[in-house]
Amino acid sequence: MKKLMLSLAVNGQVYDVAAFPHRTLLEVLRDDIGLTGTKRGCDDGDCGACTVLLDGLPVTSCLVLAVDAVEKTITTIEGLATAGQLHPMQQAFIEHGALQCGFCTPGLIVTAKQLLEEKPDSSDEEIRAGLAGNLCRCTGYVQILAAVAACRDGQLAGQTEAP
Amino acid sequence: MKKYNVVGKPLPRVDAYSKVTGQAKFTVDINLPGMLHGKILRSPHPHARILSIDTSAAEKLPGVRAIITGTDTRDMRYAFVDTPRYPADQYPLAQDKVRYIGDEVAAVAAVDLETAQAAIDLIRVEYEVLPAVFDPYEAMAADAPSVHESSYSGTSIWEEWGAKKTDASRADERVNNVSGRTVITYGDTDAAFAAAAYVREDRFETGSTAHCAMEPHAAVAHYDPSGQMHLWLSSMGIYYKRYVMSKVLKLPTSSVHIHKTYVGGAFGGKMDVYPYEICAAILAQRTGRPVKIELTRPEVFTTTRIRFPTYIDIKTGVAADGRILAQHIRTVVNNGAYRGTGPVVIFLFHGWTAPVYRVENMRYEGVSVWTNNPVGGPQRGHGAPQIRFAIDSQLDMIAEDLGLDPAEMMLKNVRHIGDVLPNGDVLKSCGLTDCITQAAAATDWTKKRGRPGSDRRARGTGTKRRGVGISTTTMISGAPYYPFASAGVVQLHDDGRATLLTGVVEMGQGAETTLAMVAAEELGLQLSDIRVVSGDTEQTPVDMGSFLSGGALVTGDAVRLAAADARRQLLQVASERLDAQVDELDLSNGRVCVRDRPDRCMSIAEVVHYSIKESGNPIIGRGYRKILSASDRYPSLAKGTGRWTDAYGFNAQVAEVEVDLETGQVQLIRATTYHDCGQPLNPQIVDGQVFGSVSTGQGQALTEQLVFNQGRIVNASFQDYRVPTALETPISDGAAVESFEPAGPFGAKEVGEGTLAQTLGAIANAVYDAAGVRIRSLPITPDKVLAALAEQAAQRA
Repeated sequence: MKKLMLSLAVNGQVYDVAAFPHRTLLEVLRDDIGLTGTKRGCDDGDCGACTVLLDGLPVTSCLVLAVDAVEKTITTIEGLATAGQLHPMQQAFIEHGALQCGFCTPGLIVTAKQLLEEKPDSSDEEIRAGLAGNLCRCTGYVQILAAVAACRDGQLAGQTEAP
Repeated sequence: MKKYNVVGKPLPRVDAYSKVTGQAKFTVDINLPGMLHGKILRSPHPHARILSIDTSAAEKLPGVRAIITGTDTRDMRYAFVDTPRYPADQYPLAQDKVRYIGDEVAAVAAVDLETAQAAIDLIRVEYEVLPAVFDPYEAMAADAPSVHESSYSGTSIWEEWGAKKTDASRADERVNNVSGRTVITYGDTDAAFAAAAYVREDRFETGSTAHCAMEPHAAVAHYDPSGQMHLWLSSMGIYYKRYVMSKVLKLPTSSVHIHKTYVGGAFGGKMDVYPYEICAAILAQRTGRPVKIELTRPEVFTTTRIRFPTYIDIKTGVAADGRILAQHIRTVVNNGAYRGTGPVVIFLFHGWTAPVYRVENMRYEGVSVWTNNPVGGPQRGHGAPQIRFAIDSQLDMIAEDLGLDPAEMMLKNVRHIGDVLPNGDVLKSCGLTDCITQAAAATDWTKKRGRPGSDRRARGTGTKRRGVGISTTTMISGAPYYPFASAGVVQLHDDGRATLLTGVVEMGQGAETTLAMVAAEELGLQLSDIRVVSGDTEQTPVDMGSFLSGGALVTGDAVRLAAADARRQLLQVASERLDAQVDELDLSNGRVCVRDRPDRCMSIAEVVHYSIKESGNPIIGRGYRKILSASDRYPSLAKGTGRWTDAYGFNAQVAEVEVDLETGQVQLIRATTYHDCGQPLNPQIVDGQVFGSVSTGQGQALTEQLVFNQGRIVNASFQDYRVPTALETPISDGAAVESFEPAGPFGAKEVGEGTLAQTLGAIANAVYDAAGVRIRSLPITPDKVLAALAEQAAQRA
């Protein structure tokens, strides 16, 4: 088996990577490019921890081959903050204590951001349904749902600076 | 409640920024130059003798760097429970036998994961399959196969820490697969049962559940030529893991360096030292290269730890007014192939009984039994979910039988401040009564709860019925286990800020944040003034670990004392400079002032500057705290005597459910939790602990169950093992009741571990209130509800 040269556009930067054709997007992001913010929770598409945006749509990157992400735009958790400014969804998660261990957090934030971009006035029920593919064992979802609703309603207190 | 400047405020977590931006480094994120990847070869049989292992073909595979088998770990016996009575029963790699499907047989390190897996596939193991046993009662039969037959020699961990040597070869421990036995008695149960107005006996069963921390278990090991073993682990306590790793690897404890990583959830499942961690370390020694072993999700489900499936028989005698006069409780747990914490959980079942209801006449008998199943271990609540479900289900049944309101019956039996437990523990804070009355008031309990003896189904029409149930629970705030104590260091900087060094592992519980708040409060600083360095055995002081719910009380108090030490030094220096007595000085908002003299002030930065210039003292505060004092007798797992904590947290919850009479589906509509955690250090974090506990309790009450077939877990994936999703989120409300624990920092004690346990009983009791059916085994699945409804219909006809 021979490695392929892949050009992947991640968070606005092009990475050239030599990878075997069976490598998943998750593996290449984490192991070859070094973007470890995207997490592997099950490798089976069940938990949603590896969610990234592919051409703006959420995918579980453990089920996408890296070769299938060529010539598409990839957005990971590391690409959400711009010029040191957190994305409002990141800010909402901080303000509402919507994270504990933080392992599912990148996938949840990426999913929730896309959910509100697709339908900014999502109802509470639509938010629950939209996040149902992202498992979280720590929070019981209560503060996560509150954070996403606050982001939807534009009710954020401020802008958290990098510590 | 007392007024604090920082404590008690819902401040954002100090780890939040790095976690929402993807920068936080978890154990699985550690990648080192030249790192090899390891895989474990596991037993496909529940019980078999290993006749031979042939690694020759695997060794020839290009890219394979090292292979180890049982012969490489022959002198490495270890376990969490390692006492004279219960000597360690596990090895990193199987010796002569494998005892469950998944038991570790060999380990490989190779240049990449594919090569490691290919090498695993090339290892040939010849097994003689042995008869296996999976049921604890069958395992106790005289003719059952023996899961463990060897006796163990050597010195146990507890003997190293002062326990008396007893004869480990005593035969009774090995008879009929009994791995642990606890008998606790007080009062006169025979007389009390005879005097009781009403006596009821019931059996309850709980299934096995999985922790489901989202980060899979992982270990990275690197052995440097100077003799230092560097480890990055999935842990809940680095000092405990360092001790066991050093003992197994025969290195001085200080030669094992556990580095900080964030841990992606634990819930009890990352407390034990696992074979894959020791294998990573051995492989790193053999190869001179860093080695990483990351478990797959199915491996996490089947080869780490699971909740002990338990049979519980309870006989309870009550007076006509509902006061409990006597209880006889018998528990049998399926321990699985190794002890894990089996002898601990059978002790804990009683431990979660005595602090809740006052029962003066008790006979408690617990037995843990080795089988060829996967291994049981601690899981959030560690025994509390099982025993509280059983006790409060039966209390609900007794109340129904006697025509009492179960909440009223609980109030007649609960403990109060000042109560002394049978083992000598004293309740200096106990908000149980407030928890119950406030949960009932907030949920309109008396209106919603059906009258005792009434036909519950007659309360509605159509196919759905709603009902409410109540349950209570408790949890310790730390207990004596290695390393017994926590310490903290607070170093002031010449910019007026401070760094807190704490050995705690941040696994989601919010310890970095709450501990920094404790330090800030004591020093008159803001949370943003404190930097936290945590969870590194070379950079942070000893910590008891976050598996005995002692984070707030024990580590929190160590940090408070460290900050108080820094404060004392600071004020001493300032008193020289300001020419005033120490007791005339106030410290707040980053400034030291002579009382009522705003013109005579120094900032903390100025004091530190001055101190360094004058004497060289940079102002470093130290504090330490252990649970219980040395004079307290530590607990006996076998007899339940001896003290084991300084404070207990308490909870009461009212659950409201909807039962679908056609499908048997139960939906949790609302869970209202009132809890006593003393002074909440950070209410947002406390809320998060409660919400998370309720959610896991909801899953374990309704959908979660590991399914076994001849020792094999057949649903080892998130597709088949159903944890709650965002869609099933109930209304989760309630609050902390007003309470102050004198032993804890600023009045704080345990929160978040016990809270899971009362959800199970509250849901089960609500199902009864909704549909008139009593489900005595967990989880409450649609098939059980439908079967009970069919039985109910048959009885009516």
